[in-house]
Amino acid sequence: MAKLAAKSEVSGSVWKIEVTLGQKVAEGDTLVLIESMKMEIPVIAEQAGAVASILVAEGDAITEGQSVVTLET
Amino acid sequence: MSWQAEADEIARRRAFADQLGGPEMVARQHDAGRMTIRERVAGLVDQGSFQEVGRLTGSAKYADGVLQSVTPAPYVMGLARIDGRDVAIGGEDFTVRGGTSWGSSRRKGGQGGLVEDLAHNYRIPLVNLIDGSGGSVTSAERRGYSVLPGIHGFEQSVRLLGEVPVVSGVMGTAAGGPAGRAILSHFTVMVKNTSQVFAAGPPVVKRSLGQQITKEDLGGSKVAVDLAGTIDNVAETEQAAFGQIRRFLSYMPQNVWELPPTIACSDPADRADEELLSIVPRERRKPYNMRRLMSLVADKDSLFEIQPRFGRALITSLGRMDGQVVGIIANNPMIYGGAMDGAAARKQIHFIDLCDCFHIPIVFLVDVPGFMVGLQAEQAATLRDGMRAVHAAMQATVPILTVIIRKCYGMAGMATCDKNGLDLKVGWPSAEWGSLPIEGGVAAAFRREIERSPDPAAREKELEAELREYASPFRTAEAFAIEDIIDPRETRAFLCRFLNAARGRLATSLGPKPKYGVRP
Repeated sequence: MAKLAAKSEVSGSVWKIEVTLGQKVAEGDTLVLIESMKMEIPVIAEQAGAVASILVAEGDAITEGQSVVTLET
Repeated sequence: MSWQAEADEIARRRAFADQLGGPEMVARQHDAGRMTIRERVAGLVDQGSFQEVGRLTGSAKYADGVLQSVTPAPYVMGLARIDGRDVAIGGEDFTVRGGTSWGSSRRKGGQGGLVEDLAHNYRIPLVNLIDGSGGSVTSAERRGYSVLPGIHGFEQSVRLLGEVPVVSGVMGTAAGGPAGRAILSHFTVMVKNTSQVFAAGPPVVKRSLGQQITKEDLGGSKVAVDLAGTIDNVAETEQAAFGQIRRFLSYMPQNVWELPPTIACSDPADRADEELLSIVPRERRKPYNMRRLMSLVADKDSLFEIQPRFGRALITSLGRMDGQVVGIIANNPMIYGGAMDGAAARKQIHFIDLCDCFHIPIVFLVDVPGFMVGLQAEQAATLRDGMRAVHAAMQATVPILTVIIRKCYGMAGMATCDKNGLDLKVGWPSAEWGSLPIEGGVAAAFRREIERSPDPAAREKELEAELREYASPFRTAEAFAIEDIIDPRETRAFLCRFLNAARGRLATSLGPKPKYGVRP
């Protein structure tokens, strides 16, 4: 089992967290939505896995490249 | 009496050249995970097509007038073919004195070398396989004096950028002249982990600034490709880099006096992909996959992205439409809503210049909310870089076809179309445009009215709704302020039709493009 950090490609604020701890996700699933430049930018799972930790809360300001969720893959 | 003895000597001297810097140095090159220059040339060009020039050049050792050995010059060059087309190709031999410059009477390679003259005089592409750090202080000792920088100037390198495709693969560590030479190219690629590029390497940085840094941290692909955009693309291996070089050249003409090669296309020009009708979400806040959209419009498997990891709010890709080469410029709504920042602007400028130089028509797929805003963006001179992008687009003379997918706002929007020229612009039903977006724009224009209202927030919403009625793209089409609104599924057929019609204009306006004025 490897840990994989899902990172936001943009700065902005956390709009919605779309997963819960332990939830199984498929590759390409949306984990978190970031509000940036009036758009909802998804952070997607690059591989299938289970949500091991959620590192942000809704409303948090985040920076480009910041990890938002870790997956057990 | 024949000349057999001399013929044998030629063979013997060639064998010295083939030994490069000797088995020990070749082993060190391999241990570093890198190929030798001869392996690189062989790996890149059509099999058996390399016709070397200057194979006998080197420093010879004689004993009593009898040749003992020759250490070859640290540069290998000549003619070769890539996919059947001639190129001038050369690269530093790192196994000989680290590929440093060679004090011969005429340079084989690098800036001002014969390899550049071949490309210039025969009007064929130039491929540089770079692995060296340029000058060495030891050459002053050999000459007995110091030279001005640029004794071998960049004049020819600069001239070539307006004449023939120039491609540089940074294959090893490049500093100084060779690093600068790489930048003077139309396309650059480097290799992950085994190649680095910088103005000056770690020893100079330590001496100048006291900074301790590894060469990978200073000039590996994470810096040079991802952050700085100094080098366009990164490849996992040297072989993969050769693949990218071949791919890039497949879209290029041999020179600016020829058209890019059109190929037979099995993908129907009128293919109408159903997915295009729903690819843009109706919710304005939801982005979509622009790369997917591009692949549905262009010829199947024809896209080749330039700078995919830099300036990511923008996508620039060579591709084909009905077999004809096009340059596609698309905004990426996934990155800051596609807003143009300095990096995206620089990327757009380079790509427009590239297409214009080689008579490649440009297709814009527009979804741009404007220039990037905010303190950081202003500090980064986004306004200046953005206006440079506008300037580049206005100066381009190749046909430009603009398809507005969603947002087209402000000056960044102006960088995507010619408002009055022959170049067409059409919109999808999802398109919206204006000098500035209604949100924010309303707050600025109706500030007093909103402030005076008993419920300012509600009044702002009301005003936004009133103005949005005028935002329908159909109203703009009624006024012929846009040439057409098209069904998204018709995009490919529409573009192919007009690109096809533009072939005559392209074929009758070949040659170098004049440069004039001052780019802001």
